[in-house]
Amino acid sequence: MPESIIQVQDLTKIYQVPERSPGLGASLRGLIKPQYRQVKAVTQINFAVDLGEMVGLIGPNGAGKTTTLKMLSGLLYPTEGTAHVAGYTPWERQPAYLRRISMVMGNRSAMNWDIPPLDSFRVLSKIYDVPENAYKQTLDELIALLDMEALLKKPVRNLSLGERMKCELVAGLLYQPDILFLDEPTLGLDVAMQRRLRQFLKQYNQSHAVTVILTSHYMADVTALCPRVILIHHGQLLYDGALQSLAEKLAPFKLVKLQFNTVVDDFDGFIQQFQEIEHLPKENGHHTLRIPRGDVAQVTARLLQQLPIADLTVEDPPIEAVIDQIYEEGVL
Amino acid sequence: MNHQGGWALIKNTWQSWLQHRGFFFLLAFGWMLPLLVYLFVWSAAAEGGTLNGLSQDTLASYYLVLILVNQLTYTTANWTVGDIIRYGQINRWLLQPMSPIYHALSSEIAGKVVFMLFSIPITGILALIIQPQFNLTWQKGLLFIPSLLLAWMLRFFWGYWLALMAFWATRADSLLALQDSLVFLIGGHLAPIKLLPDWMQLPARILPFRYMSAFPVEILTSQLSYDEIFLGLVIQAGWAFLSVMIYRLVWRHGVRHYEAVGG
Repeated sequence: MPESIIQVQDLTKIYQVPERSPGLGASLRGLIKPQYRQVKAVTQINFAVDLGEMVGLIGPNGAGKTTTLKMLSGLLYPTEGTAHVAGYTPWERQPAYLRRISMVMGNRSAMNWDIPPLDSFRVLSKIYDVPENAYKQTLDELIALLDMEALLKKPVRNLSLGERMKCELVAGLLYQPDILFLDEPTLGLDVAMQRRLRQFLKQYNQSHAVTVILTSHYMADVTALCPRVILIHHGQLLYDGALQSLAEKLAPFKLVKLQFNTVVDDFDGFIQQFQEIEHLPKENGHHTLRIPRGDVAQVTARLLQQLPIADLTVEDPPIEAVIDQIYEEGVL
Repeated sequence: MNHQGGWALIKNTWQSWLQHRGFFFLLAFGWMLPLLVYLFVWSAAAEGGTLNGLSQDTLASYYLVLILVNQLTYTTANWTVGDIIRYGQINRWLLQPMSPIYHALSSEIAGKVVFMLFSIPITGILALIIQPQFNLTWQKGLLFIPSLLLAWMLRFFWGYWLALMAFWATRADSLLALQDSLVFLIGGHLAPIKLLPDWMQLPARILPFRYMSAFPVEILTSQLSYDEIFLGLVIQAGWAFLSVMIYRLVWRHGVRHYEAVGG
């Protein structure tokens, strides 16, 4: 049994959010008696992550992903529950713990914008107490992997978003953390840069056995990097398991693609005899039907019997579509 | 404590601040102006005589030294701490194995060097023009040093704990503005403490604001007896100690309350 490096139990975070109605009167009343609303960002989630695993934490905006990462990295105190990461309680923020983790945020910079990245890296190496030899070796390795020799001497403010993200990754990995929390690392990057960063992360995870929890809105990041996903919605854990089985478990339908030998009159009329079947827009001469999982066998048998079928395939819906549906409807 | 990291940070911040030295020189000039105005006002008022025992020379030297001491003890870093908390930028400091106060301290020390590059030559030129005379004994010169260090410590930590109120209130920097106003009114800027009305004497001598910049200047410009100096040092050290204790308390509770806003 591999060892769990992250263990989370009943982790809950409730925010107190100030609230007031619009208008001057409400503002004045708010001065005397402020009103607060409780927002459950994360509710009693449980999971464990093994050493060297790459896990995708997915869910729509406001699902509680970032809050979860912030609790695991020690930025937030939970309202309830426990977490043990590498044997530490994250929110105690012990220096020894902080040296073992790294959190790279796509929308936040850890760099000083006025000076070249090389200077910031040097300061970080001192803050994290990295021996000179190890610093040089790690830096050389990261620079080669990310192909960023040319960026090192320009002030950070003159770098492009993609170049800056490379610097953020170097800053986050300089001290060779064991656990990496990546919050939207490819946010705003072009497709080529996204692919490059994914490649780098995969390579780095394999060569250093670093444990990674990644949040991203780009399913391509998750599918490329994370064999396992944890899906959070409205602060609750909806699914924890293999990415491949996500569609099977969570999408209550399959897609049946059809091509006919001859023209079929009133195909839509034919479909109407079945309940809960949706005819999706035609693509490249293929009809696509969305059929509830339980009805697939019966419906395809009828289709094959009664229509001049040239080709029929049954597929799980693409992962993006499943995720989209869950985000929209919150179905389990 | 991670002093090696702290020192690296100071050097780094200094490099970064020197990129904007024009801005900081202007800022230093802005701080100097009100005190320069009061230098001329009080010197003119005391012309040919004394005001509550303060001669024109003493007043001129008081304000000249105050210009330097004010810039040495004034904390710019605290003005940004509130925003750093409010916009969640403190996240990256909290993730580092080093107390976030090092970041404020590094701006503080780096800033002092940049400000002094401007303020020392300017005050030097002013001293050459005005040529104020005052009796300085080596004992008082020596006592000036701990009182200057305590003044910096008190002003920094007092401002820092006020800035940390941003963990609870979104515009905690208004508290810093209040602190500045009180230093101005009863901390020896608008007028030396001896020239304040009687009813303001006691609060001015008890509250921490005098001890943030005026007190070391009073020592150096020989306005105080040894008894007054020792009593003042005790009060100053007391306030400095209290400000560190309050900072630690506010920090501990603030971080627990922190909601790490934004992505």
